[in-house]
Amino acid sequence: MSAPLVATRAPLGRQLRSELRWIIRRPRTVIGLFGLCLVPILAGIGLWFAVDDGDASGGPGLAAIIGGNGLVLPVFTLFLALPLLLPLVGAIWAADGLAGESQHGTLRGLMIAPIGRMRLLAVKSFGVATMTLFAITLMAFVAVITGAILFGGTGMLTLSGTTLSFGPALARIALTILLVTVQVWGVAAIAMAISACTEHPLVVMAATMAGVIVFAVLGLFEALDWLHPYLITTYWNSLIDVMRDPLPTEALWRSSALAGCYILIGLSLAAMRLATKDN
Amino acid sequence: MNRRRVTVVAAAVGVVAGVAGLGVLAMPAGAGPAPELPEVGAEALVESVLTAKPSAFGGAVSVTNDLGIPGITGLPQLSDGDSKLRVWTDGAGRVRVQLPAADSEKTFVDDGQTGWLWDSAEQKVTKLAHGEAEAPKLELDPNAPQVPTDPVAVAREAVAKIKEFSDVSVDGTARVADRPAYELVLTPKPTERTVLREVRVAVDSELRIPLRFEVLTNGTAVPAVQIGFSELNVGPQDAALFTFTPPPGAKVSEPELREPTAEEKALAEGAFTEANPQVIGEGWDQVLAARIPADSLKNLAQQQGDDREWKRDGGPGQDVDVEGLLKQVGKQVSGPWGSGTLITTRVGAALIADDGRVAAGAVPEQVLVEAIGQVK
Repeated sequence: MSAPLVATRAPLGRQLRSELRWIIRRPRTVIGLFGLCLVPILAGIGLWFAVDDGDASGGPGLAAIIGGNGLVLPVFTLFLALPLLLPLVGAIWAADGLAGESQHGTLRGLMIAPIGRMRLLAVKSFGVATMTLFAITLMAFVAVITGAILFGGTGMLTLSGTTLSFGPALARIALTILLVTVQVWGVAAIAMAISACTEHPLVVMAATMAGVIVFAVLGLFEALDWLHPYLITTYWNSLIDVMRDPLPTEALWRSSALAGCYILIGLSLAAMRLATKDN
Repeated sequence: MNRRRVTVVAAAVGVVAGVAGLGVLAMPAGAGPAPELPEVGAEALVESVLTAKPSAFGGAVSVTNDLGIPGITGLPQLSDGDSKLRVWTDGAGRVRVQLPAADSEKTFVDDGQTGWLWDSAEQKVTKLAHGEAEAPKLELDPNAPQVPTDPVAVAREAVAKIKEFSDVSVDGTARVADRPAYELVLTPKPTERTVLREVRVAVDSELRIPLRFEVLTNGTAVPAVQIGFSELNVGPQDAALFTFTPPPGAKVSEPELREPTAEEKALAEGAFTEANPQVIGEGWDQVLAARIPADSLKNLAQQQGDDREWKRDGGPGQDVDVEGLLKQVGKQVSGPWGSGTLITTRVGAALIADDGRVAAGAVPEQVLVEAIGQVK
C-alpha cells in the first residue's frame, strides 16, 4: 500500500509564478507592453522637435525644462500616461484576471480547485499589481534611454531651478514610478471588483474608463469642491510635486493614502463578491 | 459555510474601513485644542512682536484669498482661492521663497549678495545685484520726525498709534502650524467707518513672530484674506537652500538700471504734482485720493501698446481700452460730485471719477464719495 494521501496545498510561490507566466504568455500582453514602450519614444521625439524649433522651451509645464535635461522625460511620460493610458492598462489586466477567466469558463475550474477563494483573489491581484509595476517601470526605463539620447544631460533640473545629480535624479524617477503605480493600483482594484461581478471583460474596461473620465470631469466643477477630496483623480496633477526641490511630501502622502483607500475598498468588494459566488 | 460568512464580514469591514479612510483624508486638518499659555497683555504682545529678532526657519505658507479679484495667470497666490508658498530664511538676510503654480514654479533666492529669480515656465533667470532688489521706499509723509533708532521706543510709538483708532486685545490662544500662539485682535473703534470688522494675528508664543494673519469684513464669518503658516520648522536651515546656480541652458538676464533722463524725470514730477496724491481721513478710514490727468490713462495704454510692439519685433500694437475694462469690472455711479466707476472688493473699494479723480480705501462707498468731493 502506498503512503496515505496528505492534502498538500500548492506552494504560494509557484502559484504566483504561474499566474505571471499566464499573463506574460498572452500575445496581447506582449503587444501591449511594446505599445507602452512607444509612448516615451513618441513623446520624446515630439518634444525634441518642439525644443529644436526656436527657443529652448518645449511647451508648458514640465516640457518647458526638458531641453538638455533628458532625465525629466520619464517623469513627463508617466504623467502624460497617468490620466487615461495607465488606468486602461490596469483595467485590462484586472478584466482578464477574473471576468476573462469567467468568460472562458476557466474561473469555474479555479473556484472548485482546492485553493481558497481568497487565495485566488490574492494571486490574481498579485498578477495585476506586478504587471502594472512592471509596465510602468518599463516605460520609465525606455524614457530614460530616449531622454539621454535625445536631450542628454547627466543631472535633473527641477521646477524649482535646482539641479539634482545623477543619483538623486534616479531616486526621484523611482519615486515617480512608485507614486504613479500606487495610483494605477487604486484604479485596478476597483476594476477587480467589477471584474468579479461580470463575465464580460469589455464591461470591466468600459466601466473603469468611464469612471476615470467622470471623476476627471467632476474635478473640473468648482461647485463640487466638497466632493473633490474623495476622487482618486484629484491629486494626480499634484504628483508633479516630485519635480520640486526640496521635495514637498504632503500632497504625495495624501494621494497615496487616497489610492490606498481605493485599493482596500476595491479588493474588499471583490472578495465579498467572490466569496458569495456560486461556482 | 461558516468560513464564507467570516470572509464576507471581513470584506464588509474592509469596505467600511476604506470609506472611513476617505472621509478622514477629506476632513480638513483639525486645529487641535487651544494651548494653555501664560497670560500676556495686548500692548506687551504687540511690543514683543515689533521688537522680535529674526530667526531661522523654513516652512510653508498657505494663502486663502476671497477678495473677489479676478485671477492672475501664473501667480495663483494673488488670485481667489487657496494657494501655497514655501519660505526659508536663515534669520540673517538670506532668503528662499518658492511660489509653486499648477505645473511650474517661481523661485526667489537671496544669497546675501545677489538675488536670483527663477521662472520654470520660461526657463529664465533674472539676476538682481544687491541694492537693486530692494523695494523702492514709499515716503508717504516726508515731514515725519526722524525715526528713533531704539526698537522698543519705535514699538511703543506704534502701539500708541494703533490704540488711537483700534481696540487691541488678546483673544485666547490657538495652534498654528503645530505651534502655540496668542490670538491678537485689532478691532476698529466704533467711530471708524471701515468695511473691515477685525484683523486677527496669531503670534507665536515663543518667537513672537506672526504665524497667521486674517482680515475679517463686515457681514461674513469667513476671512476675506487668510495668510498663515501651514508648516513651520524653526532652527538652522540647510545652507544649500540659500545658494542658487543658474541651470545650464537657462536664459540669464541682468536688468541694467539706467538713470532716468531729465525729460523723463520732469515728466514724472509733473505727473506727480498734477496727481497730487493725498491721504484723506485718519485711522481705518484713510482714503488715498489723487487726480489722474485725463489723458494719462490713454498715454499709459499707448505706452503699453508700444512696449508690446517693441517686444513682438514690430508686430501690430494693441489698443488697450482702459475705460471699457473699468466698466467691465466696476459699476457706474454718479452723484453731486460727478460720475464715475466704483470697483468693490471684499476688503475695500476704489472710485474712479470720469474726470480723473481717484479715491481708494478699506471703506464703504459713501466715505469714498465724501473723499472724492475733497479732491481738487
